[in-house]
Amino acid sequence: MRQVCLLCLLLIGCSSNFPEGRTVEDDLGRTVVLPPTIERIATLAPSVTELAFAAGAGSKIVGVTTFDDYPPAVDSLPKYGMIPTDFEAIVALDPELVLASEQVNSPKEADIFSSIGIPVYFVAVNTLPDVPRAIRTLGDLLGTSEAATRRAIELEDSLAQLAVLTADLSERPRTLFLINDVTLYAFGQGSYIHDMIDLAGGYSITQTLTTRAPVLTDEFVLSSGPDVIVGSFGPQYDVTKLISHHSTWDIVPAVVSGRIYGLYPDLYLRPGPRLVSGAWTLAQVLHPDAVINP
Amino acid sequence: MNRWIIGLLVLAFFSVIISVSAGDEVSFSEALSVLWHHITFGYGIAPDPIADRIVWQLRLPRALLALIVGGGLGIIGTAMQTLVRNPLAEPYILGISSGATAGASLFYLGFLPPLISKAVSMPVAAFAGGLCAILIVYSVAGGRGHLSVTRLLLAGVAVASLMGALSSFITLSSPEPDKLRSVLFWLLGSLHLATWSALIWPSIAVLIGFVSLIVLARPLDGMLTGDESAHSLGVPVESIKRILIVLASLVTGSIVAASGAIGFVGLIVPHAVRSIVGVTHRRVLPASFIAGAVFLLWADLVARALLPGAQLPVGIVTALCGVPFFLLLLRRSSYGFG
Repeated sequence: MRQVCLLCLLLIGCSSNFPEGRTVEDDLGRTVVLPPTIERIATLAPSVTELAFAAGAGSKIVGVTTFDDYPPAVDSLPKYGMIPTDFEAIVALDPELVLASEQVNSPKEADIFSSIGIPVYFVAVNTLPDVPRAIRTLGDLLGTSEAATRRAIELEDSLAQLAVLTADLSERPRTLFLINDVTLYAFGQGSYIHDMIDLAGGYSITQTLTTRAPVLTDEFVLSSGPDVIVGSFGPQYDVTKLISHHSTWDIVPAVVSGRIYGLYPDLYLRPGPRLVSGAWTLAQVLHPDAVINP
Repeated sequence: MNRWIIGLLVLAFFSVIISVSAGDEVSFSEALSVLWHHITFGYGIAPDPIADRIVWQLRLPRALLALIVGGGLGIIGTAMQTLVRNPLAEPYILGISSGATAGASLFYLGFLPPLISKAVSMPVAAFAGGLCAILIVYSVAGGRGHLSVTRLLLAGVAVASLMGALSSFITLSSPEPDKLRSVLFWLLGSLHLATWSALIWPSIAVLIGFVSLIVLARPLDGMLTGDESAHSLGVPVESIKRILIVLASLVTGSIVAASGAIGFVGLIVPHAVRSIVGVTHRRVLPASFIAGAVFLLWADLVARALLPGAQLPVGIVTALCGVPFFLLLLRRSSYGFG
C-alpha cells in the first residue's frame, strides 16, 4: 500500500508531465488507469461517498446511490439504484472515475464500466487505520491531498486520543456486536468492528470466528457469556425485544446487568470516516465513567 | 411391526441423545445429567445453568423440531407421490412452500397493513400464504367435479413460480435491507428458531397428518394402481385426493411456518424407504416418518458442526448430502413405483 501512496505522490508531484494519465493499483490489487485530472466522480456505495467527502472531494461527486444519505450534501445529487447497479444512469452522468467499495461491489461491475472506458477504483476498509489511509489515498487520486491529509490527521488524532483514554482500563468487558436481533448475524474474523471494540476498551467475542459474516447460535452467546451486548439496532431499539427473542439468555451477564444497547447503525455498518465517532460512542457505552467527552 | 421400523426407532432415540450432547460448549456427561435431571423432575444435583439452558431449552427443542419436520416431510412426500402417481412429487409440489414463503416475507418485511400485521405472527402469515397458494391451485385443478392430476401439477408449478416471484419482489423492494438477511436464512430452511412453544403447532399438524394417512393406508395402496382400477376396487378416489390435499397443506404449511422450506427430505426419504420396505403404505408411512425425522436430525447436526460458533441453514445440508445419496440410490436400486 505504501508503494501505491508513494507512487501517487510521485505522480502528483509531476502530473503536468503525464498528460496521458496515470496508472495506479487499487485496494483489490487491480491496475487502474486514471485521467490526468478528475473532476467528475460517481460512487457505488454510501461508505465510499463518505470517504470521498472526507477526502475533500465532495464537490466532484456527480451522483450517488439511492442508499446514500450522508453527508447532507448528497440529498441534492442525482441518485441511481445499486442492487442491481443502474449502469445507464451512471454513464449518463459522465463520470471520469467510479469509486467502489470492496465490501459491497463486485469486480464484475467494474468490467462493465471499463468496457465503456470509465475507470473503477475499489476502496477496502478492513481495519480502523484503513479509514485515514483510504482518505489520504483518495485525496491523492482526486487531487485534494491537502484537505484529505488534514481530515486524516484529525481522525488519527481522535483515535489516538481515545486510545489513551482506554489504554489503562483494568476492566475490558467481553462485548458482543450484533447486526440483527432475531437471526444473529455478527462480524467474524478480519473485520474493523473488532478494532473499534478493542479501541473502545472492550474485547470482541466474535473476533476469532473463522467465517466473515457468521450467524451465531444461542449456544455460542450463552457459553461465551458477553458482559455487554451492542447491536446496530438504532438508539430507539427496545432491548426487551432481544431478550424475548432469546429467552435462554436470562443468565448471560449482559442481560443480568442490563447492559444491552442499540447503536446508530451507520456509525458501525458503513466502513467510512464515521467509524471514528462510532468507536467513541462505543467507548462511552463500555466505560461510561472513564470516557466522557468525544 | 417390522424390524426395520424398530431399528429406525432405536436409531432415532440415539440420534436425539447424540444431537443434544454434540458440541463444544457442553460435555457428553453434562448433557446426559441435564436430561436425567429433567426427566426425573429435578432428581439429583441441579446442573450448571448454562449447560441446562443449552441442552434443555436450545438443543432438545431443536432436535425434536427436526424430528417433527423431517417426519412430516417424509409422510407428506409419500402421500404426494401417491396422489400424483409420480416419483418426482414432493411436499412442496403444490406451491405450498412458495405461498408460505411469500406470506412470511410480506409479514416480515413489513408490507402488511399494520392492522393485520399486529394480529398475526410470522408462522400465521406463512400458513395463510400457503393456504392461499393451495386454494388457487385447487380451484384451477378441481373444476367439473373431477380433480385432474395433470392440472394440479401444472397449476402447482405455475403458482410456485408466481409466489416465488412475489417473494423476490418483496425482498428486493424492502425498505429495510437488514431484515433481508433474516428472511434469506429462513428461506433456505433452518431450525434455529426452535423453542418448546414453537413445537406445538407442527406437532399437532404432523400427528393429525400421520394418523389420517395411516387410517387411509389401504385406499392409498389402491390409488397406486391408477384412478380407474382404484375406483373399481371401491376406493373413493375423488374424496381421497381432496383429503390428501387438505392434509398436505395443513402439514407443510405448519412445517414451513416453523422452519422455512427445507428441501429434498420429502423427495428423497420416501424413495429410500420404498427400496427397503416395499410400497405398501402401512409400512412406507411409518418408515418414511422415522427415516425423514432421523435424516433431518443428522443434517441439522452437520449444519451445526460445520462452522464453529456459527450455523448454516439446514436446507443447504439436506441438499448437499441428500441429493448425491438419492442419485446413487436411483442408479443402484431396481425398484419400481406402484
